[in-house]
Parts: sequence; C-alpha cells; structure tokens
Amino acid sequence: MSSQPYRLVVKGELGARYASAFEGMAISAHDGVTEITGRIIDPSHLQGLLERIAGLGLTLHSLAPVDAEDPARPRTRPPATRSERPSC
Amino acid sequence: MSSQLGERDGSGLRVIEPKLMPPRVHPGMLRRRRLLELLDGDGGASLTVLNAAVGYGKTTLARSWCTQRPEAVIWLTLDAADDDPVRLWTHLATAVDRLGDGLGRRALACLAIRGARVETAVDELMNGLVAYGRPATIVLDDLHAVRSVAAVRSIGHAIERLPASARVLASTRSDPPIGLARLRARRALVEIRARELAFTAEEARELLAREGIELSSESIELLVERTEGWPAGLYLAALWLRDLDDPTAGVQVFAGSARHVGDYLTDEVLTALPPQTRDFLLRTSVLGRFTPDLCDAVLGRADSAAALAELARSNMFLVALDARGDWYRYHRLFGEVLQLELGQDAAPELRRRAADWCRAQGLVEDAIEYAAAAGDAEMVAELLIEHHLEFIWGGRLGQFVGWVRWLPAELLVQQPLLPAAGAAAAALLARPEVEVQRLLAVADRARRERPQLWSPYVEAAVEVTRSEVIERGDVGGAVEHGRRALAAARAGADVLTVGVLASLSQALFFAGDLDQTRRTAMEAVQQPDAPDVPDGYVGGLGLLALVDVEQGRVENAEAWARQAIRFARQRFQADSWVASLAHLALAQACAATGRLDEAEREAVRGERLRRSPQPTVGHAHALLVLARVRVARSRFARAAGDLDRAQRAIAEFPDPGRLPALAATLEREIAIARSSVGQRRSIEQPSPAELAVLRGLAAGLTRREIGDQLYISLNTVKTHVRELYRKLGASSQAEAVARADALGLLEPRKSPG
Repeated sequence: MSSQPYRLVVKGELGARYASAFEGMAISAHDGVTEITGRIIDPSHLQGLLERIAGLGLTLHSLAPVDAEDPARPRTRPPATRSERPSC
Repeated sequence: MSSQLGERDGSGLRVIEPKLMPPRVHPGMLRRRRLLELLDGDGGASLTVLNAAVGYGKTTLARSWCTQRPEAVIWLTLDAADDDPVRLWTHLATAVDRLGDGLGRRALACLAIRGARVETAVDELMNGLVAYGRPATIVLDDLHAVRSVAAVRSIGHAIERLPASARVLASTRSDPPIGLARLRARRALVEIRARELAFTAEEARELLAREGIELSSESIELLVERTEGWPAGLYLAALWLRDLDDPTAGVQVFAGSARHVGDYLTDEVLTALPPQTRDFLLRTSVLGRFTPDLCDAVLGRADSAAALAELARSNMFLVALDARGDWYRYHRLFGEVLQLELGQDAAPELRRRAADWCRAQGLVEDAIEYAAAAGDAEMVAELLIEHHLEFIWGGRLGQFVGWVRWLPAELLVQQPLLPAAGAAAAALLARPEVEVQRLLAVADRARRERPQLWSPYVEAAVEVTRSEVIERGDVGGAVEHGRRALAAARAGADVLTVGVLASLSQALFFAGDLDQTRRTAMEAVQQPDAPDVPDGYVGGLGLLALVDVEQGRVENAEAWARQAIRFARQRFQADSWVASLAHLALAQACAATGRLDEAEREAVRGERLRRSPQPTVGHAHALLVLARVRVARSRFARAAGDLDRAQRAIAEFPDPGRLPALAATLEREIAIARSSVGQRRSIEQPSPAELAVLRGLAAGLTRREIGDQLYISLNTVKTHVRELYRKLGASSQAEAVARADALGLLEPRKSPG
C-alpha cells in the first residue's frame, strides 16, 4: 500500500498539546471539530492513529482519504461544505 | 554464560503482582445502583461485557460490583504483552491457584513447558475451577489490549468451557472476536455499553454533591448535555468545580465553549494544581504502574510515598492498586493526557531511569518495556540475552519472538544469540516459515560478520531449527543440518542435546536409516536430563517404538509407545505433534497383533496430531501408516484415499526420503489385497438400486432415511437389504458394509464389475 493522504475528524476543538499526539499529521481545530490530516503509510499506521484517538478519549466523527490529485486543497480549510461533516 | 545454560525454570519472569490487584475503590466514586442491579440481574450469563470508550467508568463499575459479591473474585488487568497467551494464562492460573488446594498447579505446570498447547493449560484450569466447586468471578479488565489471534482464541476457548459455577466479567473498548454472537444467541452474554454507562442527570447530581458542589437542575443538565454523560468528563468537572467560587458561572462558560470536553477540563484541573504537584504528575505519567520507590528513582527525590498518598486521597485519576500504598497507576485517559502535556523531550530519560530501577529490582519484563519505550534497543538486547533461557524454557516464546523482531537487524547482527534463539522459538511456535527463515538469515549474516561471537550454542540452535524447518520437505537437508547441530551441541551446548538428538533421529527415520535412528533416539532418551525436555523425550521414545515395530520387535515397540503416551499425558504433550509418533507406532503394533479397532483409533489420532497448515514429511508418513492399518481392516477405499493424499504431498517435496518407497509398497498391497478378496469370493453383482441402498447403509443412515432419500418405501428398502446380505454373504449390516468396501463397491462414480 502506497501512502495516501487522509483526513480524520474528531469531535471537539483540541488545544495545542494534542499536536504531539499525532506526530507527522497536521492538526486544525474549528467549528467544534478538530481535523487531523496527513499521509498514512499503511494499515498499521492508520490503526495506530485510531487507537491513539480512542486512548485519548476522543470521538472519531469521520475518516476518509482525501484527493491526492488536488494538492492545492489547503489542509486547514473549514470542512463546512463537506459531506462527512457531522450533522448535529 | 555457560553457567546459565543449565537453568531451565522461568523464575526470572515472575507473575507481575499489580496486574492481579483490583484497583481500590475511591470514596468519591459513585455506587451506581442501576448498573450494579443490571450486573446482578443475570446470574445465568457466563460472560458479561462492559463495552465502551475510555473514561466510561468500566473499571470502576467492575470494581464496585466485585466488592459486593460474596464469591471469590479473580482480577486481571490485561496489557499488550498478554498477546503471548502463555503470559496471560500464567497470571490467571496463578490467581486461581491462590484460591487454594493447588487448583492452578496443573495449568501452571503445563504453561511452563515450552511448546505445550495453551488450550491444554486452559482445560486444566477449567478443571481447577470445577474442583474449586464454589462460585467464582473472573474479571478481565482492558480486554481490548489483547489482540493476537492466539491469545484471543484461548480466551474464547475458556469461555466456551467455563464451568457453570464461574462467570467472566470483561471490560473492553471494542468487541472482542470471541464468538459474542453465539453467546448472545444462547443468552449466555450480558452487554453493558456506552448508553447504559453514561451518567444520568441524577447520578451527576449525586457525584457533584459528594464533592460539596451544589448546582441547579438546569446547570446539571447543561453539564450532562455538554459532556454527553461521559463519566470521565463529569469526574473532571467535579474536581474543577469544587475549587471554584462560582461553579454555576463556570458551567455556563464550559457549556458555551467548543473545546473538546476532556481537553477543556484537564486544562482547568491541571492549571489549578500547585506547580510541584503538577510537575510530579507529568513526570510520573510515563510509568504504567508504579511504587513510591520507582517514582523516587525516576524523579530523584525521596518523598514520593507522601505525594502519592495525598494524590490518591484527593483525586480520582490516581488509582491505588493495594491497601498498603505499594502500587499505583493513573487512570488510563488521564495518564495519556499527562504524557502529552509532559512532551516528548523529557520522556526517554525518565523511562530509561525506570528501566534501570526495574532491572535492579528483577522486574525483567517491565525493564524491557521501559527500555523499548525509551528507544534503548541496546538495553532491550542485553536484557533478552541475559534472560533468554527463562523466556524460552519458561514457555514465553511469543513474547521473546516479539521482542527479537522489534530489535533492528543491525543490532541483531551484533548479537547472534538473539536471531538464533528467536528463530528456534518461532519454529517451536509453528510461526510461518518465512518468519523463521528471516531470523535464520540474520543469524547467517552475524556468523559471517562476527565470527568471533559465534558459539556452539548458537550453532546448535540455528542448525536444529534449520533441520526442523527444512524437514517439511527436504529429508536429506534435515539430516545434514541435524548432524551439524549435534556436533555443535556436543562441543558445548549440553542443554540442547536432547532436543537435537530427537530431531536428528526423526530426520534419519524419514531418510530410511533405521539402525541409526534407533541409536540416536536411544541416546536422546538416555540423556540424564531427557525427562526435563518433554518434547524431545516423547519424540525419542516414539521413534524407538516406530523402529522396533518396523523391525518386528512388536512387544518392545508397544512398550516404548505406551511409555511415550503416558509421559506425554503427564507432561502436557498429549495434544502436541510429538505424541503422534508413539500413536503411529502403537497403531502398527496393534495391527500386527490383530487388534484392528484399536489400531485404527491410534492411527487416526496419530494422523490428526500431525496435521499442520503446510504439508510436512511427518504428516505424509502418518497418512501412510493410517492407510496401512486400514488395509489390514479391509477398508480399501479409505486406505486408497489416505494413500492418495500422502502421494500428492510427497510429489511436492524436494527430498521425501523413504516415503515414495513406502507409498509404492502400500499401493501394491492395496491392489493385491483387493484382487485376492475379489478372487476369494466371486459374488453375484448387486443391482444399481441395491447399491444405492448399500451406500446409504455405509453412510450410517437408518432404513427409513434411506427410503426417504431414494423415494422408495421402507419395505422396499428392507427387501433390498435382504438381497444385499444374501449376495455379499453377510449376516449383519456392519459385515455387509465391510465386505462391500473390500470389494470396492463403495467407491463413488465407479461402475461395479
């Protein structure tokens, strides 16, 4: 499996200390959620992230690969228009 | 080094006591009556699962339920190292043993034998629980930490066989794959999930009142809504609000914030702490479980006992594991957040100090864990070398292989003992051949690059492993590597001699050198320490029996075989493949003396024990023995089937030794026996309808079932049966079926005649 950019969205805005919890991933908090984006190299990497999320008491809202063909898409853009946005 | 080679017990890997300690109940914790009633309500369930995310109060609930139970409670906190099922069950068996009367002794003895099946130990332990006779509850806290197939399967095996007097309460963050659906269908499962575990407004009010916090119903509802009833959130809220002048205003601000609940509240709680307390918490957060002494060693101070006692009293995120104040741990969630706050720079040094302390205390596994977490591969390697015999002879093969694989290849090349012992352990665990080969390749590199570190011990371990792995298809190679292993063992690895001799004698047997097989196997079983190496001893006795039966010493063969089987049963090798050699020999001895039923039973058992995911020479041989016994019983169709399976496997082997010759002989015997039966009795051919009925009889169907299947009346079936008896000259159904089989009438799609 070649590395693939992913976006994980967890509930709640996380403070700066959480940046170190997801090494190598970019963290951005806004609108009541936190986006964790970056390249995932293989299934164990993804599994590790999911366990980290669970271990820190975070609730995963969505998880999806992002379009690798669209490098212009900024990592920090608000997710308001995206389909996986929680409908709460 | 050589002084250690004689030690064979696993004493260095003791039970980790804090894993067996149920956390203390904090006075601030809520007794959640509605959940306790749920747990009490279903006495008939053998398994109760508390399944929810971190911070849902699973451990707390399990703990407070246990305090009110009249029966014995066994508590085990699981962690990732329990992926080695031997470690997991060693802890559980120790706890059961402490219930009295040596109830876990047989299970512990089984677990201490390298390569014995864990399921055998689990069965022994279940027998221990039956013998206990009184009710018992086993709590498996943090079951999600265990993920290996072997460990999860062993837990499922235990739950299936749990006596009615015992029940299991498991807490987990995810559904364990142990057949929950089946248990659910049998109503043997109670599940309590996040929906039930979330706090109600009433419970939140009660919790806050304990901390002296008075809030309006509106504020409490706001708080429960904001936290979604998440117990960890509400506990943290209570810690925070109790120090606020205006808790109502605090709740308002919290409710209006978009911050993550846990993040917000830990921030508030941590900020309010005195700096030295905060510092203590952060720096000890790298410790999984700790004593005041360990904290002192890591922090370079001398007053940790007092600090811990105070924290355990005032907070609920420090959990005391015993009444004496010896062992503590942080609440999992809080520990994780504290580590984030500590940051990555300080952690390795703190962990290294923890590793040093644990090493000095003889806490081998903890020392390895801390050294690994600190990234100190050299220290992990040193500890593994120092204690490899305890891991391997104590049965902790899975753990050992796991650590060896964790080490970088560059380091393994410096320490040839590790890849050699790792490969031997992986082979004993029947791990995939590529895994064994990969470690052997690292060992070969070490031999080339560091010849001065290459010892007879390492040579013997590498060569015997190569011999056993190659045995799957290359008999000549197995003999060659076995001989090298023996030369090395004689040159300076006494501890490996029995195993090497047994291995070599098996290779010689498949190569067809029966006299050498006998000499080598005899030497194996006559070694003074042979009974201390149960697999080698059972294998050696089995090979003596096989040679004797082939050379016509039937009585001798039977005696060796029975001795092997008896010893295997005593030393928990009865379900292991090494016992199959003795069963196969006994089968042939019985066949030679006319005890054909017993012969077939033994051969079937021997063949079953020898099955493995990949075809092996050993299994092909077992099939040939089974086929020969079936020829003796005139079960030609089945014998031909066994022979066919063996021949297909043999065709794939690069060097199948004597097996092709054995198979060819057997093939001729089957042909001759069949034709002689045919000549002896030239029979009147049964009609196609009669043959259809005959096949039904052979399949064990009743006459009525045969009629239903063939759309004919019961009377017609009976008429056909009478005709069949007459034509086959049989006086019973069994005789008719046996005779028809001998005549080849039962083979599918083959027109008789």
